[in-house]
Amino acid sequence: MKPLIQVKDLGKSFNGKKVLKNVSFDVYEGEILCLLGPNGAGKSTTINAMSTTLNYEAGEILYDGQLVNQQSNFFKRNLGLVPQDLAIYEDITAEKNVTFFASIYGLRGKELKEKVDQALDFVGLMDRKKNKPKNFSGGMKRRLNIACALAHNPKVMILDEPTVGIDPQSRNHILASIKRLSSMGITIIYTTHYMEEVEEISTRIIIMDHGEIIASGTKDKLKEMLQDEKIYYIDYEGDYLMEKDEFYRIEGIKEVAVNCKRMQISTLKGVENLDRIIALIMNKGLKIYNLSSSSASLEAVFLKLTGRSLRN
Amino acid sequence: MLKNNDLYSFYAIFKRDLVNIVLNPVLLISNTLFPFVLVMLLSYLTSGSYGSGGVTAYDYYAVTILIYAVLNTAMTASNSFMEKSLKTSNLRIMYAPIKLSHIYMAKIVATFIFTSVCFLGYIIFFNLVFGVNFGGENLIYVILIVLFMNLLSSVTGVFFCCVFKSEELTNKIISVVINVFAILGSLFFRLDGLGPAAERISFISPAKWAAEAIFRIIYDSDFSLFIPGILMLLMASVALLIGCKITFKVEDYVY
Repeated sequence: MKPLIQVKDLGKSFNGKKVLKNVSFDVYEGEILCLLGPNGAGKSTTINAMSTTLNYEAGEILYDGQLVNQQSNFFKRNLGLVPQDLAIYEDITAEKNVTFFASIYGLRGKELKEKVDQALDFVGLMDRKKNKPKNFSGGMKRRLNIACALAHNPKVMILDEPTVGIDPQSRNHILASIKRLSSMGITIIYTTHYMEEVEEISTRIIIMDHGEIIASGTKDKLKEMLQDEKIYYIDYEGDYLMEKDEFYRIEGIKEVAVNCKRMQISTLKGVENLDRIIALIMNKGLKIYNLSSSSASLEAVFLKLTGRSLRN
Repeated sequence: MLKNNDLYSFYAIFKRDLVNIVLNPVLLISNTLFPFVLVMLLSYLTSGSYGSGGVTAYDYYAVTILIYAVLNTAMTASNSFMEKSLKTSNLRIMYAPIKLSHIYMAKIVATFIFTSVCFLGYIIFFNLVFGVNFGGENLIYVILIVLFMNLLSSVTGVFFCCVFKSEELTNKIISVVINVFAILGSLFFRLDGLGPAAERISFISPAKWAAEAIFRIIYDSDFSLFIPGILMLLMASVALLIGCKITFKVEDYVY
């Protein structure tokens, strides 16, 4: 299958620091490709480069076989970009927001009106189209942010962390909308640092860290990396700062991440070491109030690949 | 060559920018109410210094504060470009298939048109209500100077934004420059009394030249500064527009 977008050996530096290092991947028509990684991993830099708003020193990006920086308007016409920050006008109605952003793509007249209504309907804001976003909840603003990128009928949509800071209901609405867009044939590139979202919507995943791709594949393929391991999630209270090395003395332990009163401990399957882990924590005067385990999750894959938690 | 779609998208962005200015209460007041209040206040406070006949305090301050308001257009332009609540929304425009020059040109044109309408209203108001002399049959020359100066102010505000990439810094710098020019240009009080040195220094201010050109046209029908003034304003505007083209880079705003 021929890729719709090809990113080849992308390299970018800021102030002498390499923020993208030979990033290469393909995007196929109709898929939901999730770029997963912690803040500063290079996800937003990658999509800004893809959207032609950011220059890069090395590599090339092709859309439909053509270099995007040579045919940027051709690519932009087919691209809907939902930026991480809300990019809507608070003082005009939702309808006027979508109308404005669609009109700069050349839509006008009856077609413009139809597409605006379709976009608002798609994100579930049709009944609020005459309201101003300043009166909207965070989730509704996020949905309007998506509608503004949708009305001109893009073939590719890039969504940069579109669910940051919103309520679960709006989040579910957005994730369901993305799956619907994909079923309509729109290619989705989705960046996030929420593992659960990736689990829910992705058809393929690219894991990034420190400006490079550290793994890619389908959910199942990535989880295969952990077929011999399981992970414990331990939430605790107390002031003692656990050292990772203290855990590595326990048989079977592969990786440990401690983050905001939560430990993630990756251990070999079949090694009975939970009692020793608990004892070690309790002996330090810490109180465990929640413990769960997972045999194969993307969180565990990330921990294995980077040695730290995704939200560290 | 601009195609039909280019014109349409430019018009859409321009219209949006114009509405953004109109909907901003600070910009609206600073371009409409503020100069009116300033003229009335300064004229009232200094009315004793002017004779009962001939040139009144209103005749003086209606012209000088008009020039001051025109200088302040640069602040309106920078706000329309970089104002916090607009910045991210303006960024989305950069993802669209438009000419990048549309982004800053639309802001310049929107600022210019909005403020020009305000200034024309100002001239009409003070002429009709307070009988301020704006040159009578030479009014058109006064208006042309105001408009060309306003164009330069609009371009300057956007140019500074392109250079400094920050509304806050741009406004701080522009604010200082405007007020220094205004004081040197005797827009609030005359510098004549401070001696010939002060008088000479005052000519480094474009506000002084604009006031001089306008007063000569109004009271002496002297147009000697008109053509050179217009040409200088136009050339400076074109130079700064080229500066905008060189310094405006999308990358500076998205990262």
